[in-house]
Parts: sequence; structure tokens; C-alpha cells
Amino acid sequence: MIFENKVLACVDQSRFADDVTDYAAWAAQHMDAPLELLHVIDRHLEQGSGKDHSGAIGFDAQEHLLVELSEADKALTLTAREQGRVFLNRLRQRALTAGAQVVDVRQRHGELEDTIAEQESGVRLLVLGRRGESAQTTQRDLGRNVERIVRTVHQPILAVTERFKAPERVLFAFDGSALTRRGVEMVAGSPLLVGLPMHVLMCGAQSKEAAKQLDWAQATLEKVGFVVQVALQPGDPERVIANAVHTRGIDLLIMGAYSHSPLRKLLMGSKTADLLRSAKVPTLLLR
Amino acid sequence: MLYAGWGHFLLMKTFRQDWLANSKNDLLAGLVVALALIPEAIAFSIIAGVDPKVGLYAAFCIATVSAFVGGRPGMISAATGAMALLMVTLVKDHGLQYLLAATVLTGVLQIVAGWVKLGSLMRFVSRSVITGFVNALAILIFMAQLPELTNVSWHVYAMTAAGLGIIYLFPHITKALPSPLVTIVVLTGIAILLQLDIRTVGDMGQLPDSLPFFLWPEVPLTLETLKIIFPVSATLATVGLLESMMTAAIVDDLTDTPSNKNRECVGQGVANITSGFLGGMAGCAMIGQSVINIKSGGRGRLSTLTAGVFLLLMVVFAGDWVAKIPMAALVAVMIMVSIGTFNWASIRNLREHPKSSSVVMVATVIVVVATHDLAKGVLAGVLLSGFFFAHKVGQILRVRSRTDNEGRVRVYTVTGQVFFASAERFVAAFDYKEVIEKVTIDVSHAHFWDITAVSALDKVVLKFRREATDVEVVGLNEASSTMIDKFAMHDKDGGDDLLLGGH
Repeated sequence: MIFENKVLACVDQSRFADDVTDYAAWAAQHMDAPLELLHVIDRHLEQGSGKDHSGAIGFDAQEHLLVELSEADKALTLTAREQGRVFLNRLRQRALTAGAQVVDVRQRHGELEDTIAEQESGVRLLVLGRRGESAQTTQRDLGRNVERIVRTVHQPILAVTERFKAPERVLFAFDGSALTRRGVEMVAGSPLLVGLPMHVLMCGAQSKEAAKQLDWAQATLEKVGFVVQVALQPGDPERVIANAVHTRGIDLLIMGAYSHSPLRKLLMGSKTADLLRSAKVPTLLLR
Repeated sequence: MLYAGWGHFLLMKTFRQDWLANSKNDLLAGLVVALALIPEAIAFSIIAGVDPKVGLYAAFCIATVSAFVGGRPGMISAATGAMALLMVTLVKDHGLQYLLAATVLTGVLQIVAGWVKLGSLMRFVSRSVITGFVNALAILIFMAQLPELTNVSWHVYAMTAAGLGIIYLFPHITKALPSPLVTIVVLTGIAILLQLDIRTVGDMGQLPDSLPFFLWPEVPLTLETLKIIFPVSATLATVGLLESMMTAAIVDDLTDTPSNKNRECVGQGVANITSGFLGGMAGCAMIGQSVINIKSGGRGRLSTLTAGVFLLLMVVFAGDWVAKIPMAALVAVMIMVSIGTFNWASIRNLREHPKSSSVVMVATVIVVVATHDLAKGVLAGVLLSGFFFAHKVGQILRVRSRTDNEGRVRVYTVTGQVFFASAERFVAAFDYKEVIEKVTIDVSHAHFWDITAVSALDKVVLKFRREATDVEVVGLNEASSTMIDKFAMHDKDGGDDLLLGGH
């Protein structure tokens, strides 16, 4: 309520938290927006402890069990709360050192996606790690929360990778759709990327329509002072974009995300997820 | 399309949460519950006067079906004592087939109750009534064991005592094995080894020898049949839903998670219909077993499903062994259940709690134990708590007065609640014999709740008018004035005649 248009960074207690904080601080600094670090304590109420299989119930079994269970929950919550507080404060210091102006912290109980859905109002940019606590141990490219969160929110999302490096060369994966056209306007209207060289890449065969779209994107971006290079390349978008990222030394990718329903994704696979996996740079996802 | 997709996504999420989030604990807890359910299902069949098979099939059907359609993950439903007690007369007079038909009808009534959202009526059942219900249930379960303990040899007493000893002491050695199971195995072993001549489960009737199969209850589809089964079904449906709602509330508290009460009503109905068609008796949620399930770490729907499936598998494939279980072992388990279900703190609280609450609780227990009908007990409890509440709120009424205008006017100030329980006090609070010109009744701080309150005010006004005293009613607040506008007569012409005339 106090902070309008804030940058919201989702952190969990994994080694990726520092990078998320760095990127969020960078974004907040460039956008001149307040930064809030959000830590969600997942309580797993749906899981039991399962230590007692005696199957016996004695006097006032129900009351005793209630006391026992609530004590256990309390102990867990207390530890998690204190740990989270210390952790968030460390990140707050880090963000302030990195140059963010106003940094606030918040801890919430519940599920990450529900929490973000509740907190979304007043958020201008959401920053989260591509991988987090759950992906730390597995070798998955993409944390299991990423897609769920991206589908939940309606604001642009910065999905960051490990090891912070201030973005210097930006690639805009443009496809002429309403979503990416809005993205172009948004980038043009935002102070976040001002002054950075911008590559606008469109995949597909040469056509009048495509050229017109690209011209429009170039004009829109150049009008506000971007140095723009446009390209239209045929081929499979995933490979073309990944290739471009690699050869041109891109360190920030912008693209539309999950414009199709989950059901279609189940059947056809998701372009977004494939791209996120193959392009190993921070990605600004447009919603 | 996007919306449908999103719904599908959410569905997947709840599915994962309800079924898979706690799978290992659910499986183990379900196993523990299944082992404790077997003796209970057999014991409750014996209470109802049917073969153990009927209770065991019911336990399987109800547990399995409610795992899928119930509204409270982690709650255990099966054949229960509360329900068994209500069937005794029907079984005795008309036989098993009528019980099966009644079970199906019970399910139908429960589904209707769920659709019209009767679950919300639970808010009229006070805490004291719930405590009374639970205590009465425990007492009934205990009393149902007494026939097994009267006119028997000392072996049975020794076995039962040993069984109770194992149940309560074994968990001190290890909590990995369910102590009721250990009791049953040890006592069965002893009985076989010593060739004791005591009653066994096999003596009580037929055990399941196959998986249950669909059968239509063999009753004539006539109005006569409906007349026989409907009263029983209505009581069964009520008691079943009451106990299920209470158990759901208990599980909600224990796990700190919400449940869908109306879905639970429908779920109970579907489970009972299934049970009736598969040769099982009616059942509902079980307080004791649900507590055991949560205690053992069960949280999800998988625990309930596991309990039902394992129960049936064990009974069908180890039927010969189940038949050899001495009744004394079952009695010990059932005594544990009744002790665990009884709310012992309520006895300590009898003196501390307000007398009216204690009276409600005790009255509920007495009515249930006297009639063996939990529905009657709850009805008595709810009525009593209604009376007590009305009485208490009726006390919140003050009428003060002072003279004004040099003794010409008396001003009555009424504060509080005026309704049927306080109307008489309201009328009596005025001094009609006083010789005075005018009376002002200020009701700006009073609430008129019903027609009784309104006619009481009318009566007061008319009584004053008979003494030739002018009456003015002032400050009718919004709530009261709407009531007056609708029902009052004193401000209309001829009101006097209508109210007092003809007497």
C-alpha cells in the first residue's frame, strides 16, 4: 500500500537469492523504484509428521493431540520466522550496498504463487530466480515454481540466472504479436534499459508484413534514444534465438511468456519453457 | 479456453495436495487405521445384530468412497457405533434386506441435505451439545461391550485386562507397531495355544469370503416398505451427518486446514448408497479413528483409501485367522476407543463451566443413554441451549422511570432486548396504578425482536389508556420501528377494540 510501483523480488534460502537481490537492486536503481524483498515460508500443512504408529488413543486423546500438533507447528514457525528475518536483513543490506534507494522486506506464510497473486497490486516488476531451493539439489534447468508464478502474475517478470552481471546488450525476441508489440512500447516507455544497445530479432521467412513490424519496432525504440539493430532470420525460433544470444554476447533477453493455456502446453510443449532453458541469460518475460 | 485451462491447472494442484503431498505417511497411517478398523467394524456389526461381513463391507465401501468424494481429506469414515445402535430394531423386526434399503435411502437423504446446504445448521449445535454427543457416544460404545463381559468365565476377564494392558503399555516399548494389532495377535495366539473355550469372532456370524459385489436389496418397492425404513433412514442420516460434521471440525482443528462441509454431506451420502448396494450397513465419520489417523501422520485422501482397501484385503485373505480372534481382544480395543472418544476434561469442567452449559451437556448424555438415539439427545441439547440462551438474553432488559414536568409526566426509559422471553417482565415493569396525566415510554435503547414484544408494548399502552393516562412512545430505533410498523395496532384506529375487546 505504501509502495506503489515497486520492484518485488522473490527470494528463498538458496544460493540464488544473492543473484536475485543483485538483479532486483539493479532494476530498482534504474527504474528509480522502491524494492521489496519477499520471502514466503511454506508451511506444508498437508504433511503429517508420522512418528507415532501405535494406533492407541488414551484419555482426552483429541485434546492432547491438538496441543501436541500446535506446539510442533509453533516451534517450526518460530525457527523459520527468525531464520527468514536474519536472511532477509542480510539481503536488504546487500541491495542497499548495490545501490537500491528504498528497500523493504516482507515475510509471508502460504504458497508462493498464492502469495504473489495477493501481493501483485502495486508491483511494476517481479524478479525471481530461474531456480531456487527446490532446484538446488536437482539438476533441473528451470525451477518448478517458475512457470506457475509466471502464469499467475500479469506484470513483467525478470527471471534471472546465477552470477549477477549488469546487462549491457539486450535482445528482444519479437514476433509481431500483440504481446510483444506491447512489450516494445513498454521498453520504450521505461527507464530500465535506457542507453543499452538493443537487438530486435524476429524469426520467420522474409515477408512484407514482418518487415513492416520490425520497422515499427525500430522506429518506436529509436524515438526514445535506443540504438537499435533489427534482424529477421528464418528457422526454428528456439535455436535462432539461442544462437543469437551466444554469438552477439547478449546478457538480457526479452520475450513474451506463456500466451497459451496449460492444457495446450501439456499437448504441444511450451515455447517459453524451451527458450528459457536454451537461452542461459536473464530473461524479461512479458505478460 | 484459457480459463478452462487454468481450472484444469488448479484441479491438478488440489489433486496433488489431497492425494500425493503426504503419500508415505498416508500409506502408513492408513495401515494403522485399517488394523484398528477391523475389530471396530466387527464389533459394530454385532451391535447392529448382523453378520460381521456387513460391517466389514460397509467399512470398506464407506472408507474407499469417501476418500474420493468426501470434503475432509484425512478423515476416516466407516461403519460406526452411533449408526449401528439406530439399526438394532429394524434388523430385529425386518431383517438385513430392509437395513440395506434403509442404508441406500440414508445416503439419498444425506445427498439432499448436502445440496440444500444443511451443513450450515451445525452452528445451532452448541459446544456443550457436541461434548454431550461425544460423551454419550463413548458411553454407548462401552455399554455395547457389556454383553461380552457378563456371564462369562474368568478367562474372558483375564484376556480383556491383558488386552488393555498391551494396548496402553506397548506404545511405551515401541510406537512403530500398532498396539491394538499386537493385542489381537497375542490374545489370539494365547487362546489357540491354551485352547481356551471362549467366544471368537467366528462365533458371531459370517465373515467376508470374497470381494463385495453389487446386489439390489430384496425388499418390495412399496409404500409399506418406505414407511418402515424412512424413519430409520431419517435418523441415520441426521446422526451420520452430525457425527461427520463434528469429526470434520475436529480434524480441521487438529490439522489447521479447512474442509468443505457440504461436499462432505454429499460424500457421506454417496458412500452410504454404495455401501447399501454392496451389502454393507450405513456408516459415517469416526471420531476415534480420525484422531488415530492424524496422530499416525495421515493427512491426505490416500490415508482413507488405504485404510479401506487394506481392511478388505486383510479380512478376505486372512478370514480364517480373523475368525479365530477372541471376542475379548475386540472388547479391549473397543474399550480403548470409548476411553479415547470420551471427553474427560468435560467432567472436570462441570463445576467450572456455567451451570446452563453443564446442564445441556449432561441432559444430552442422559437422553442418548436412555433412548440409545443420538439424534434425540442432540435435539434435547439444542432445545435446552435455546431455552437457556433466550432466558439469558431476556435478562438484558431494564426499565427505569422518573417524574417530569412537576409530577404531571412519568418518563419510562427502556433499555435492552424485548422478545418472547422478556415480554412478561417488560409489561410488569410499568406502574399502571399511578395517578398521572401522561406517560412517556422511551425505547430508543431497546430492541423489539418479535410479535410478542410488539404486542407487549401494545398491552402496556392500552393499559395506561384505560387509566385515562396519555401515552407517548418515543425513540423507536430503526429495528424496533420496522417491527412496530408491521405488527403494532395501538397507533391505528380501533386498536383498543381489537386487542382487549371481546374479553
